[in-house]
Amino acid sequence: MKQVHDFSKVEEIIQGYGKEEASLIPVLQEVQGLFGYLPKEALVKISKGLKVPLSRIYGVVTFYSQFYLTQRGKHTVRVCRGTACHVRGGKSVLNVVKDSLGIDDGDTTTDFQFSLETVACLGTCFLAPVMMVDRTYYGKLVAQKVPAILHQYKRKGGQGE
Amino acid sequence: MNRLSSLAELEKLREALRQGANAEKTCVRICMTGCRAYGAEEVRDAFRAEVRVRGLEERVEIRETGCHGFCARAPVIVIDPLDIFYQQLSAQDVPAIMDETILKGKVLERLVYSHPLTGERIARISQIPFYRGQTQIVLRNCGKIDPRSVEQYIIRDGYAALARVLSSLKPNDVIEEIKTSGLRGRGGAGFPTGLKWSFAKASPGNTKYLICNADEGDPGAFMDRAVLEGDPHSVIEGMLIAAYAIGAKAGYVYVRAEYPIAVEHLKIAVAQARTAGLLGKDILGSNFNFDLNIKEGAGAFVCGEETALIASIEGRRGTPRPRPPFPAQSGLWGKPTNINNVETYANIAPIILKGAGWYSSLGTESSKGTKIFSLAGRINNTGLVEVPIGVPLHEIIFNVGGGIPKGRRFKAVQMGGPSGGCVPMNHLNLPIDYGSLESIGAIMGSGGMVVMDQNTCMVDVARFFLSFTQDESCGKCVPCRLGTKRMLEIVTRITRGEGMEGDIDLLQEMGQSIKDSSLCGLGQTSPNPVLSTIRHFREEYESHIRHKHCPAGVCEELVFAPCENTCPVRCDAVGYTSLISAGRYDEALDLIRLNMPLAGICGRVCNHPCEKVCKRGDIDDPVAISSLKRFAADWEIKRGALASPTFLERPKDERVAVVGCGPAGLNVAYYLGRRGYRVTIFEALPVPGGMLAVGIPRFRLPINVIEHDIRFICQHNVEINTGKVLGKDFTIEDLFKQGYKAVFLGLGAHLDQKLGISGEDAHGVLKGVEFLRQVNLGQKVDIGEKVAIIGGGNVAIDTARTIMRLGAKEVTIVYRRTREEMPANIDEIEEAEDEKIKILYLLSPTKIIVEKGRIKGIECQRMKLGDYDASGRARPVPIQGSEFVLEVDNVVSAIGYTPDLSWLPEDDKLVRNRDGTLVVDPLTMATNMPGVFAGGDLVTGPSTIVEAMGSGYRAAISIEKHLKGRDLHKDRLYEPLRRAPMMFTKEEAEAAGSGEPRNHMPSLTIESRISSFSEVNLGFDEETAVKEAKRCLRCDLQRRSE
Repeated sequence: MKQVHDFSKVEEIIQGYGKEEASLIPVLQEVQGLFGYLPKEALVKISKGLKVPLSRIYGVVTFYSQFYLTQRGKHTVRVCRGTACHVRGGKSVLNVVKDSLGIDDGDTTTDFQFSLETVACLGTCFLAPVMMVDRTYYGKLVAQKVPAILHQYKRKGGQGE
Repeated sequence: MNRLSSLAELEKLREALRQGANAEKTCVRICMTGCRAYGAEEVRDAFRAEVRVRGLEERVEIRETGCHGFCARAPVIVIDPLDIFYQQLSAQDVPAIMDETILKGKVLERLVYSHPLTGERIARISQIPFYRGQTQIVLRNCGKIDPRSVEQYIIRDGYAALARVLSSLKPNDVIEEIKTSGLRGRGGAGFPTGLKWSFAKASPGNTKYLICNADEGDPGAFMDRAVLEGDPHSVIEGMLIAAYAIGAKAGYVYVRAEYPIAVEHLKIAVAQARTAGLLGKDILGSNFNFDLNIKEGAGAFVCGEETALIASIEGRRGTPRPRPPFPAQSGLWGKPTNINNVETYANIAPIILKGAGWYSSLGTESSKGTKIFSLAGRINNTGLVEVPIGVPLHEIIFNVGGGIPKGRRFKAVQMGGPSGGCVPMNHLNLPIDYGSLESIGAIMGSGGMVVMDQNTCMVDVARFFLSFTQDESCGKCVPCRLGTKRMLEIVTRITRGEGMEGDIDLLQEMGQSIKDSSLCGLGQTSPNPVLSTIRHFREEYESHIRHKHCPAGVCEELVFAPCENTCPVRCDAVGYTSLISAGRYDEALDLIRLNMPLAGICGRVCNHPCEKVCKRGDIDDPVAISSLKRFAADWEIKRGALASPTFLERPKDERVAVVGCGPAGLNVAYYLGRRGYRVTIFEALPVPGGMLAVGIPRFRLPINVIEHDIRFICQHNVEINTGKVLGKDFTIEDLFKQGYKAVFLGLGAHLDQKLGISGEDAHGVLKGVEFLRQVNLGQKVDIGEKVAIIGGGNVAIDTARTIMRLGAKEVTIVYRRTREEMPANIDEIEEAEDEKIKILYLLSPTKIIVEKGRIKGIECQRMKLGDYDASGRARPVPIQGSEFVLEVDNVVSAIGYTPDLSWLPEDDKLVRNRDGTLVVDPLTMATNMPGVFAGGDLVTGPSTIVEAMGSGYRAAISIEKHLKGRDLHKDRLYEPLRRAPMMFTKEEAEAAGSGEPRNHMPSLTIESRISSFSEVNLGFDEETAVKEAKRCLRCDLQRRSE
């Protein structure tokens, strides 16, 4: 389901910052907080508001892994690919997540229920191997436990927000 | 809080806060950062509710703190002033803690820390090795104060260093003090901090910036996160002092967005500091101005590089630029800028307060102070530890870190993340400092220590890091962008079994070029993990390339299942387990016997390396693979059946002679017999089986089981001649003359090693292997009432248990190391302990005391553990003057055994090693005599049954090639004869991941055990076997490449 956006709020966000390049990343972060991703219309407004060329904004947005140009799923599954997770079997966890959701790293399910991301390190190595669904950590995973965890987000839909 | 407008007001406030603090008050400190993921919030809520219900608000404080470091035991709490540490709590534990501990001062044993190796329970936090081994400077407040309370920081000398600087030190004095302290940057490169500050100070200009690099991105490092979450003011204070020293008025903290709690606490701290007049204009009335901004990163590893970080703050793509100019000359917006890491700043205040002399008294000559390490990976005590620089690695891994879980072996530790390298087992004594690590190809880096055990594949680790750097390369310079990609392709090819000769050299050459020519630290260090793993684990690369075998059982394209992969004879454990789970026991036995003809024997006495790698062990305990094999074998024996022989090839005329009827020889005979060759085994002893028959007591391995397995083998064109001694009854030449086309030597190692102490030759001193042989062959051996056995292997334990059964009253095993290092199987050690055999550890015999031709006793010396040897075990060191006498009637030496080569004529051509073993080609097992092959203990020295069978398997392949006139080295890749049918679906296999704990075989009662030689373990019944088999996670179904 496609979202309908109210872009007037983008203007408000821009107002809160100085009209300079240094404000670009914080503005992008705040705007993405609003929509969950960065719609083109918003980027155009930011470009005008901060007087930064759209091409340069595009460069920044595609450089940092945190920014998205397309709509994301309701739930974000982040699988840690850090070293500690890796030596404790993180790869098989990732494989099972991919299989269960039927999507690859960086993709979103067609029903916009899930997006899958890998993270270099969540900094929770004591939980390894670990994944996060939205803000909830699932630690000390084994591949076989993963489908059940994901299933509760599939069925109940709204949980974990 | 009101604004503090002078230094005196700060001190007044501190005094007032201290007056107000009630030392009597019980304080429950709950970690609310790392432990949150384990339910710390529920624990906190439960404490609050309990305190409220009981009206104890005045007596008990519930304090939310940062990380206590001991993440492995989360959620954790500490109760002051009782000094009690409770771990792995849940909300249900809280009422009992209130009733018993807080109100009555009683310790709840079940919540107390227990040592992972010794099981010792320790309640007081100051006594736990994890904490006792630490020196906390940076972590001084972490876990002790509420990070959201500036008051609690101030009570503990917070901002006192700032006050000292503002009141009595000039900027140059501050820089000198930091220089003298020897502090080096903790972000990774280790540049001297004081020197860096002096550069920024010396740069011309009025506008200067200060940056805190909190973009902690190295996978495996989380100390900056803990400091920011647990003690943000310590970083702010350090930055204030640095700003004063270099003359900066504005600063930035660039923090990873993946650390939401760190950002939150930092924001709170900055706001508090502003309100209190500790940030902003005219700080503490001193005319010093400084303010801080927080910048959240947007997810780019390269932004940890200082010039990339600056670009990111400026709102651009975070790509690095060449240096010089360094940020100290031209940094943020072209102005002089000083960048340090979180941990570096957190060190500043203590140095100023306690002095450079105090700080530099810690650490080594070139590396001063302490360093935080984050312990992760395959180690018991995952978490954060702060130790003086220069402590040996083994101290961190085994004492503070608690060792390796599941009884597995330490292999290496990866230091410095993707820029670093690994430190292997033979460097456990290495003092950890900047220089020593560089000397072996690793780096200190940010202090991430990812511990790896025997189940970690080093090629896979290298591939992992390369794929990381390749992903995170910003793409600006060619060597890093393309070089890492090409290297990744090569390493990936190797892990897929498509490696080629020359790949290793190519990787080294490319790695060196990338190091030499990349623009920034990310690129320059990116080849390190590959170069370092090649340096220390080259043989693993070679195994992937040449044998298409991943020794650790990780690389999924090469590994069918870890259990099968690790078995020296590639017995398909996952396959037969699955068949047993479906009630198809005969088929299970057939599958076992494809590669492993000694099913009943190995089901009982194999050391089962498969169970050490079983994935189920990561959840609870490994599947009882060995006992399941025994079940399948017993199923046949119990029905009085014997499977008919299966031949893989038509009968042939060539005959092969096998000398020695132990596990190696039997496996050679079986392999060749099934391929149509006629095999004769010559055995010196009156019974077949070698060590199986004479080295293992009957209560572990009954004779009928040996006979059954050998009967099965003999159906395959195999004939056994016992009582035929090589060198006495016949020679190798004779065999060829008699028409045998090839000879396999598998004579084993049956000669006991000498103790090398006085009194050893006295009457009553027995030899372990010889003794077991005599008992097994039915000979009578005189044994006194008190017997000491020297040694720690299976022979020592078997001897002790046999002697117990022969009627001795007191049987003592004397071993010079500790239980953890004992080479004997753990099951056997436990069974011996059950049978009341005393095992004395850290004890070494010095002489046997003989009086009037009779043994009086044995003099022993106590040992302590010292340095680590190349095998990764601590070396026992004698304690002088600790000698004492153990009174015994007999002494048995069981410290090892060697092959007996006395049958070889002096002028024989066969080449032998200095230790008495034969020299063979390690791949083909060929000796230097054409047509003569060898295997088993004769070649390896004392080893396991299944290793002996494995070497026999390799020799048999060579013999077949020899007979067919083919190249012995070519086409040797392992290919399974058959796989088990897919018994159940992947979903069903996934469901097996829960439930049922490991099943144990029933056994005889202790009393009936020690009064006879009946078999101790009784085997699974059918129902238990099926239940146990269903615990298998079916790793074979998890593979993606089929």
